[in-house]
Amino acid sequence: MNSALIELRGVSKSYRKGGETIDAIADIDLEVQETGMVAVVGPSGSGKSTLLHMLGAMDRPTRGEINVAGQVVNRLSQGELTRFRRQTVGFVFQTFNLIPNLTALENVALPMEFNGVSKAARLKRAKSLLERFQLGPRLKHRPRELSGGEMQRVAIARAVANEPRLVLADEPTGNLDSRSGQIIYEVLREISRERTVIVVTHAEDLARLADRVIHIRDGRLLDAPPMPGLPLDRNELHFVQQRAI
Amino acid sequence: MGMIFLGLRNLLRNKSRLALIVVLIGAPFFLLLAMQSIGEAVDQQTAEMNRSVNTVLQLRARGSMGHVNMSNQDRLLPDSVVEKVRAIDHVIQVEPYLLAMSPTTLPNFAMHVGLAPAAVKRLESHGESGNPRIIAGREFTPEDAGQDVAIIGQGYAEWAGIKPEDIGKATFTADPTRTHPVIYGINRPKRTLRIIGMYASGYVFGDLQMFIPIDTFRSIYGIEHGFSWVFVQADSVDNVAAIAQRLQETVGDVADILAPKSAAVFTATTSRTVIQLAGAGGVAALVLMIVVVFFVLLMQVRERAREIGTLKAIGASNGGVTIQFLTEAIAFTVLGGLLGVVVFQLLGEAITARLFSLGIGSFLPSQYKPLFDSLSVSSHVSGSVLVLVVAVAVFAAVIGSSYGVWQAIKLSPLEAMKDE
Repeated sequence: MNSALIELRGVSKSYRKGGETIDAIADIDLEVQETGMVAVVGPSGSGKSTLLHMLGAMDRPTRGEINVAGQVVNRLSQGELTRFRRQTVGFVFQTFNLIPNLTALENVALPMEFNGVSKAARLKRAKSLLERFQLGPRLKHRPRELSGGEMQRVAIARAVANEPRLVLADEPTGNLDSRSGQIIYEVLREISRERTVIVVTHAEDLARLADRVIHIRDGRLLDAPPMPGLPLDRNELHFVQQRAI
Repeated sequence: MGMIFLGLRNLLRNKSRLALIVVLIGAPFFLLLAMQSIGEAVDQQTAEMNRSVNTVLQLRARGSMGHVNMSNQDRLLPDSVVEKVRAIDHVIQVEPYLLAMSPTTLPNFAMHVGLAPAAVKRLESHGESGNPRIIAGREFTPEDAGQDVAIIGQGYAEWAGIKPEDIGKATFTADPTRTHPVIYGINRPKRTLRIIGMYASGYVFGDLQMFIPIDTFRSIYGIEHGFSWVFVQADSVDNVAAIAQRLQETVGDVADILAPKSAAVFTATTSRTVIQLAGAGGVAALVLMIVVVFFVLLMQVRERAREIGTLKAIGASNGGVTIQFLTEAIAFTVLGGLLGVVVFQLLGEAITARLFSLGIGSFLPSQYKPLFDSLSVSSHVSGSVLVLVVAVAVFAAVIGSSYGVWQAIKLSPLEAMKDE
């Protein structure tokens, strides 16, 4: 059995809005094991993106502790956070977020440069990743010369460039047609064999491809998900604690 | 690739915007170069004028003309004055004179001037104009010190019956006993002097003088101590006022100090005003540059907030983001600076001269305007000016971009998620 890569203990996130306190995430405990693909599903405003942001150290919890790969991310200094984003986590965005004036190869090489990898090594690895994702002929293309699906594959290559143990994907197929979305999920499935991939999605049919599905509503993790047809072995929810709504 | 390279590549994202920004930054650079050029031209012009402006101060015994045989005007400066004056900073020459009056055809008189052979031969009523032109014979040499020789003005020579062709052979007998309504006689023997030179000054009274080595003068008139006048030469017109102040403090109890006010007034009012105006124009140009960089960088940061968030999300440090934006800002200003230099070299002379007459000339006191009509503004850009341009570009970039960079640093990686 794999050890837990992610551990959340009593994590809450509140916002003040117009004098009112809104609980985006409410007292969540969660463990996620090393390797595999986890889908986080829930309606808009349920808190799934907030959860993802906190896992990626983009946002800090109001209460509780988030431990990722042995690091308590909500206690990291600014410099440690930067190092955490370089080495431990990779991001895949809904709108791809490629740097528009860099080629596909340069986009993928960029995080490795931040991580101090030599030019020759990073170009070699970037080329290898792009070829692995069937983008060999697109190495020198800029984002505007690529299709949506191709851009997202470049973004996934960029996310895994520094070989992080965790990849976080926020609606990675949200801007793609279903065929491109399917390809992206296959790519994510593929990279999840070597690391943990957490995908926030509305697309339930794609969530079914995940090894594990976490349902979230009103900032709380739900009990057994109403997912007809989901194989039992992929429906095992590792809730340490959950509270019924 | 590096954040520097990334910053440089960002310049080319929108070429028409780049061109507009470079022109917006180039214009104040042109203004800066124009102001620098005007300042330089005025400096040169001022230096040129200062060379012809009187920088000589004159000391006389308090309340006395200092003529050794003039009734009630015969008090002299003590010997100690010379050493005290020599010790003052920025004094480059101290020339003591002794003066005696000698009657000619009444009521006129001539002036006998005792001075060191190497001293400037100043005319009493035109002290600022020295060394009148020798029209016959020769100048003094060091060997003439203490000798019975003299250089005579052509008007005095005519009265004495000495012709230019007689110079070298002619003599003049100085008689200290002769009197005049304002001259008293000194009971001393006559002395015959050999006339070694004749000068012409262009002034009637200026030509009624005779220059004698000072030791010879002392011997003729029996003056063992003291001086009639002491001329004090300042090293620069800028120091005349300070020297006058020091003289007042040092010898003001025994001497009247006559400073060339016109020089100080000229420097204080005109040159400084023009240079200050040019400097203010330069500062305005710099501020304009900083403002352009400020808004451009702020716009870039706002436009690229999501990209900055993405860079941070994939591991860029705040330092890296700072370097990227600073590189862009410096590149903008250096390109603007180079454009300013090129345009200045092509059109600088014509535009700067016009700029001067419209922008600065109108502020000048009317009496000084003609002095600047001949102002020669050069569009030459030297190596040192290029270094200055780059330095100003970097300065404007750093100052102008600081707020934008700070905004970029403050951005959270969460910006990467916006619009999703």
